[in-house]
Amino acid sequence: MPSTADIRERVENTIVDVLKVDAAELAEDRRIREDLGADSLDAVTLVMALEDEFGGSINEADAQSLATVGDVIAFISRRVEEKALA
Amino acid sequence: MTRRRVVVTGIGMLSPVGATAAECWAALLAGRGAVAPVPDAWRRYAATTSTIWAPLPAIDWADRGIGRIEQMQLDTSGMLTIAAAAEALRDAGIAARLVDPKKNTHVLDVPAPDRCGVFMGTGVGGITSFVGNLANHVMSPLPLDGVDPAVLPPMPPRFSPYAVPAMMPNAVSALVGIRWSLTGPNLTFAQACAAGTVAVGHAYRAIASGAVDVALCGGAEYLGDPYGGIFRGFDAARTLAGAGADPARANRPFDRDRTGFLLAEGGAAVLVCEEWEAARRRGARPLAEVAGFAETFDGHSIMMMEPSGRRIADMLTAALDDAGCAATSVDYINAHGTGTLVNDEIESAVIDRLFGGRPLVAATKSLTGHCIGASGGIEAAVTALSLARQETHACGNLEHPIRDLRFAREAGPCRIDTAITQSFAFGGHNAAVVMRSVG
Repeated sequence: MPSTADIRERVENTIVDVLKVDAAELAEDRRIREDLGADSLDAVTLVMALEDEFGGSINEADAQSLATVGDVIAFISRRVEEKALA
Repeated sequence: MTRRRVVVTGIGMLSPVGATAAECWAALLAGRGAVAPVPDAWRRYAATTSTIWAPLPAIDWADRGIGRIEQMQLDTSGMLTIAAAAEALRDAGIAARLVDPKKNTHVLDVPAPDRCGVFMGTGVGGITSFVGNLANHVMSPLPLDGVDPAVLPPMPPRFSPYAVPAMMPNAVSALVGIRWSLTGPNLTFAQACAAGTVAVGHAYRAIASGAVDVALCGGAEYLGDPYGGIFRGFDAARTLAGAGADPARANRPFDRDRTGFLLAEGGAAVLVCEEWEAARRRGARPLAEVAGFAETFDGHSIMMMEPSGRRIADMLTAALDDAGCAATSVDYINAHGTGTLVNDEIESAVIDRLFGGRPLVAATKSLTGHCIGASGGIEAAVTALSLARQETHACGNLEHPIRDLRFAREAGPCRIDTAITQSFAFGGHNAAVVMRSVG
């Protein structure tokens, strides 16, 4: 199973790829829409990219709940633990 | 106002015979065609009559400026388009400055982006990714159906939120206009196998009339859906070449033993066209002049060419008139040359009637396979390169020509001052572009 540090790095790389923000901006409390400038299409794209990065699928309700960088890392870590994602 | 002169100053191209214009041109001159068995997976769905096609070479999309996020968002026809357009702009020496890293959009070093147009052709647009989305939809019924998912064939992991913009045929033009901030007219032509030629012709007219100063034009297509459904459509229409004893010799336009056309996985070609004087002022190197265009319609059948070729002859006469040149001055014809029994017969008869045995006749599809909506763009690019380099590629597998024309039997140097590239399409659309040497 991937380590927490490994998951954090992969999540951060995916966010950087989608939103083209500086990795240094990705503190856990940064809000994906308000602080990182994601519009609704970016948010949809980020979910697709996370699905591709970790395998499996993320449903609409879960996707809506991911407001901050920390939310995403926590959500992916939990799903990986449940073996729903790799 | 006198009609302005139009030149080609840059070319980008991806096809089954190469991932760049230089690779395609080298393969064409060397007579290296593309042919391979269709993917094994397709045999799960149909026992098609034809079992060969012309696959694309491996393409490093990231190296072409299309990262993993865009690869997820775009249909392959869109990626082919962007790769060909980027290469054409580089070839034309037009610099691009990145303006929005997230959207990956650029501004070109041109005086007026509002006077730069995009004119692209495509046969099926982004249908390939939609086939995948549709499979995901059909194969993932809601649980209340009681269908056991284990019995269903493989399917893509998601129904993409980008399904619609990936599918729209106009995406091939819109992607170019968005990526390089070109805000003049932005048109997509969908005349099937003639779409690319129609697009180049309308780009020429827009520059000649003064409507635009620069045009990116050509065609793009992608046909390799994971289930072979698009291939099956052409197979079911009995248009494809059988593999025969030697698949490498199955693709043979204008040959006595032809059995149909070789479907290509896809391709794209983009030509940068500019008003001659403006191109000269910025120090561009013109490859060829686009000198004339005409299009006609058969009004006969949705799939079959009109047997007399009357409207093809009319189109060629009108294109020559538009260019102000006589049939006797034509040195080179890049024929539609698909390899189907009826098309080659009609096309060769029209060429014989109008031009006799004087012009060289080359069939690019004999090497690339048939790239459908991209083929007109690819053949316009090949015609421009033939004029610029003063050499021709040969017709692949042409051993017993069906008519006594001057088919290009060997690749090599030749004198070409005036050239024609022509295309015919399902539906009945005919289009021809006349080009001239600038050397």
